[in-house]
Amino acid sequence: MSSISSPSVRGAQAAPGQGIGLYLAIGCLVAVLGFALPFVGLPKNLLALLTSASISAILATAVGFLVRQAGLSSFGHAAFYGGAAYAIALLVKYTSLPAEVVVLAAPLLIVGLGVVVSLILLRTNGIAFSMLSLAMAQAVYELVMKWRDLANGEDGLRIRFAREIFGLKLSFFQKADTMFLVTWAVLVVVIAILVLVSRSNFGTLTIAIKNNEERARFLGYRTLWPRVVILALSALIAALGGTLFALYNGYVTPSLLHWTLSGEALIIAIIGGTRSVWAPAVGAFVFVILRDVAGNYTTHWQSIVGLVLIAVVLTLPNGIGGALTAFTNRFGGRQNG
Amino acid sequence: MKVRGLLGASALAIVLASPALAADPIKIGVATALTGAYGDLGNEVRRAVEFAVEEVNAKGGIDGRLVETQFLDTQAKADISRQQAEKLVNDGYTLLTGAIASGEALAIAPMLERWDAVYIGTIPKADALTGAECSPRYFRANVPDSADAATVGTWLKDQPEKKWAIMGSDTAWGRNSGASFVGTSKGLEREVVTEGYAGLGTSDFAPYIQKIADSGAEGVWVALAGRDAINFAQQAKQFGLLDKVKVAGVSFVTDSTVKSLGDVSKGIFGIVNYSSTLDTPENKAFVAAWNKKYPGTWPANFEADTYVGMQMLFAAIDKADSAEPEAVAEALSGLTVDSIVGEVTVRPEDHQLVRGNFFGRIAEHDGVLRPVISATIDAAVAMPAANRDCQL
Repeated sequence: MSSISSPSVRGAQAAPGQGIGLYLAIGCLVAVLGFALPFVGLPKNLLALLTSASISAILATAVGFLVRQAGLSSFGHAAFYGGAAYAIALLVKYTSLPAEVVVLAAPLLIVGLGVVVSLILLRTNGIAFSMLSLAMAQAVYELVMKWRDLANGEDGLRIRFAREIFGLKLSFFQKADTMFLVTWAVLVVVIAILVLVSRSNFGTLTIAIKNNEERARFLGYRTLWPRVVILALSALIAALGGTLFALYNGYVTPSLLHWTLSGEALIIAIIGGTRSVWAPAVGAFVFVILRDVAGNYTTHWQSIVGLVLIAVVLTLPNGIGGALTAFTNRFGGRQNG
Repeated sequence: MKVRGLLGASALAIVLASPALAADPIKIGVATALTGAYGDLGNEVRRAVEFAVEEVNAKGGIDGRLVETQFLDTQAKADISRQQAEKLVNDGYTLLTGAIASGEALAIAPMLERWDAVYIGTIPKADALTGAECSPRYFRANVPDSADAATVGTWLKDQPEKKWAIMGSDTAWGRNSGASFVGTSKGLEREVVTEGYAGLGTSDFAPYIQKIADSGAEGVWVALAGRDAINFAQQAKQFGLLDKVKVAGVSFVTDSTVKSLGDVSKGIFGIVNYSSTLDTPENKAFVAAWNKKYPGTWPANFEADTYVGMQMLFAAIDKADSAEPEAVAEALSGLTVDSIVGEVTVRPEDHQLVRGNFFGRIAEHDGVLRPVISATIDAAVAMPAANRDCQL
């Protein structure tokens, strides 16, 4: 477990000045190149795929960040992700609030819930945390499945958005060539903020708590609240992903809340690597594109994805992100990398 | 870069607008459940589409254009179905079909205009599809729930059993069918004593069967399909429920139920939307051709319904002289088709194909156990008037 949960001491966190510059340059370049993608004549299907991938990337980033900063493997993030999507669907269905308010309120609502839940969840650690998060999320799933009058069960809900949201036509959010700009922007901002958080004193403190909570407490730090903040932040990011999903698809089904989605996000984070904040996002793009390609050839795409996961875990213990970092360090001329 | 992109785009537009288009293939996209609880049904859809396409291509296509298909798996899940349909549309397969669960079609229908696509529904039965959720681009070739409810009434009034149980699928269709049955039985002074709805892919029906047995029901109305139907029937047999109560259902009296259950299925009543025993020249020719392509099998109800949908679609393309979704949709509305279930018309008000319905039971026909029609109900009786909730 430690191989996926402990970020490198020599990694981005403690990199010397020259290394930061290189990473910053690469990061900015990738971010800017991303915004150019819809304008280079890519096939529509590829753009639709990239849009879904960036939404998955946001969820995986949330899950990976929790592993990185707190050493916690959540099996319940679908509850935050699908919870936000369902919050939007239900608010649109049962209230007459403007769509803008709904879209902004849903993630905040979920974070509020996340803080309350984290006070219970964070009494536990390791496997117990994973199981408790799984149980709580499945409870939400069952509620939505069984309470048919509320959320229409298995068949899901269509979200009847207004024709315009934030002054933009609804189709702006539901067509891949324009929505990709939104999802990519959110992903870039999320990663940028998380990198800043992870490099701040607060970020270092949470790593210290993760490595040895007793020692951190002995040094005079309160250890519960930093962990609550990390979990809430992670929940917020997952909820942002769910919000984007709801906007883009205009439709929600209980599978958004199912534990398999949480598991998938964790798998993506592991494929990407959890040593760096940005690595799970890389994993998401690889995973989503791989799944699509495999799905075109066989209905048994899960087995192909499974084989890739085995290969990654065996050959790249730090995930794709870890391999990329090693590669960059070698060619970036850093001797101590 | 932008200028070059524009040039490229206009070059593409010129290519697309050229007369060479006339010989371009007609692309039909089929997003259906090839795996999962409704996997059998999805494969029936696939067989029917392949049969229809092969048949029309053997005749030289429609107006000289051959038909091409692409199949994608949906697992009968609304969200996946919607993604796969969008993928097909983006690849140019703008004439769509294949949904099994009503939830799938309900998720896709609102997007059709935006995608500029046309959908031929051949399996989903939820009334909302031609009711509150109707779309100018969604057309239903199969029989909706409300028509099944009208049909069951003609049979139920002659049955001595007063107390009924409902065993339905916990989906838009199962709930819709259950509610329709409750409505029909109320009007006939029958009582529904218990209702159970099992989620898609349920493997253990024991609690539901126990409840039905305890309720004192004399009959049970089953609205389950695919693997759910088979699982329920097999377990009901083990519990002896099938011997104690009268069993009837919708999408339950099918060839695949017979295939899996064998003799146990004999005598089960139900709505039969189509039977291969239908005695018309068109149907006999269809069954013979089917038998040739798939030796040793008869077209099952979902296969025939999908074939009717394809007949509808091909006739509309022929009438429109175009496979452009907008033109096809226009041609479909009010279209009259000479189909295997007779001459039928697509109602312009709600895009429902107006066709009759059948009631039947599983019995031996030509020495083979299969759904056999016992009563034919005319479209005038079976098909309720267009739903006022539908605003096209």
